Amino acid sequence: MSVKNSAVMTMLAGSAIAVLVLFAAIGASRASAQIRPYTPPQTAAPGADWTERIEEILPPGVESRAEATARLVAYKPDPVKYPVPRTPWDGKPDFSGVYWPDATIAPPPVALESLYRPEAREYREGGGAARGLFDWRGIDTPNYHCWPPSPVNGSMAGTVQLVSAPGYLLLLNEGAQFFRIIPIVGEDGRRPSPRKPSFQGSSVGHWEGDTLVVEVTNFNGKPWLGGAQPPNQPPQTSSDALRIVERWSRPDAQIFEYRLVVEDPRMLTAQWTGPAERRGLMPYDAVQESLCFLDPELDARHREFAAAEAARKAAVR
Amino acid sequence: MTVVVGAVAVAALLLGVRMAVNEDGAGEGATAGSFAARTAWGEPNLTGIWKGDSLGAGSGRDTFNLTMLEALYTPEARARMKELSAKDDPTMRCAPPAFPRAAMLGHPVQIVQSPGFAYVFTEAYPAFRIIPTTGRPHTSEQYLFPNYLGDSTARWEGDTLVVDVISFNGEGWLASAQDRPTNASTGVWLTTDAMHVVERWRRIDADTLEYQARVEDQKALTMPWETPKVILKRQAVDGIEEGLCRPEDGPATYLARLGS
Repeated sequence: MSVKNSAVMTMLAGSAIAVLVLFAAIGASRASAQIRPYTPPQTAAPGADWTERIEEILPPGVESRAEATARLVAYKPDPVKYPVPRTPWDGKPDFSGVYWPDATIAPPPVALESLYRPEAREYREGGGAARGLFDWRGIDTPNYHCWPPSPVNGSMAGTVQLVSAPGYLLLLNEGAQFFRIIPIVGEDGRRPSPRKPSFQGSSVGHWEGDTLVVEVTNFNGKPWLGGAQPPNQPPQTSSDALRIVERWSRPDAQIFEYRLVVEDPRMLTAQWTGPAERRGLMPYDAVQESLCFLDPELDARHREFAAAEAARKAAVR
Repeated sequence: MTVVVGAVAVAALLLGVRMAVNEDGAGEGATAGSFAARTAWGEPNLTGIWKGDSLGAGSGRDTFNLTMLEALYTPEARARMKELSAKDDPTMRCAPPAFPRAAMLGHPVQIVQSPGFAYVFTEAYPAFRIIPTTGRPHTSEQYLFPNYLGDSTARWEGDTLVVDVISFNGEGWLASAQDRPTNASTGVWLTTDAMHVVERWRRIDADTLEYQARVEDQKALTMPWETPKVILKRQAVDGIEEGLCRPEDGPATYLARLGS
């Protein structure tokens, strides 16, 4: 994201709570929980006037991301005042919207690092499945390779757009054109076939009341569950046994909430409950195109590092 | 009793016929998304995973009208093209190719619709397009952000989704370096920020999607260029794979992956 955009995002942060006020009218028009004919929301076009809107809706005094986040955390959902929008096809909560910023409403009960198996240390030191590729004591992370972020570490970062569609929840990241297409099991109970092992895994959603529960499996073993903290904490690597259960909910029309539980018996001694996150609806209906390009200089350093590692191993043998 | 059984049988038969008509031959609930001919809100339903044949030009073959395109470049554009080579194709840096080029690569495309929008996802160079389908205007000029995939807006003309795309950044190519329909071909297919694409997406039957595009570029082409009609077939899979383009794989690897 450019400096200019960062500045805009900071302003957007400040506007998040003001948006709650803006959307109050929309919430009121959706007062009935019954299914109604759908009218596409008349919100701003992609890339539409951000700054004017911000000036229009930003109340004086709320101008920092930190304050917007704090207000989002303190916000008390009010489904009577702001009824949960529902889809016309199944009456389930409609997640559609662009959301920002991410606010942690409950930290993890225990630190992820405390659950790592001691015997996984050597594997982690070597960079996990990306062995020989990463110099984790430097600034190097999967993000620098433009690898798709896993749900635990990165896919919820930045500005996200959610789309409820018949049979799917879509997650569109503004960060780098990453996306998740989450199929939702229908009334026939048929589960979609898994795809090849990947960074983002294979997702399957099902409804438990008004909560969308998404099971994610079939990872390729390369995602990090958390970053390295050199010199002592090696990367929080995962294995192909990684399994994540996400719980998506919309307490009211202004926000959505996200919780996740991580299992990886080859890396962790127990299940890990991640932070509970909340995000506020923004007055836009689409994220913008943004791409992730590998830094050529960093790429050159990777090649040197990988070559040196290979030479070192050859010498040991 | 016989009459009742007969009536039930006739009713079942009628119901069966009606369902077949409604379903346009596609099995409802074959995956999570519905493949019925129309969405729950009445638009033609393009939902699904679609894939066409790999198209292109070379060795006397031209399946994407590239001979025509080549003839349309202005002298100024030709002069610039002579200075460029395969390494200048932004897909070499893993930038996603825009449509119509993306439709000629022969890689899967997944479409999901929600009321007022269609979302197009590509597997080969993972990227998404957000296409409003209500015929609303483009993003106002003041706030357009030139990019690789452009700014799309669409309307339904009967059962055809007509997508108007502007605001390209002028870096994308219309075909690949391997595409050389004539002896004089440079293998360079540049565009400019004046490119304007009009696409027509139409579901012909439950398993067939037709795609066609018209490309204008007043800074590079003397006349609009039209692609042939591209036929994409429904894939019997539940989703596209997670594609990963890595420049470190080297050009040979990912051009091979592109099938070009």
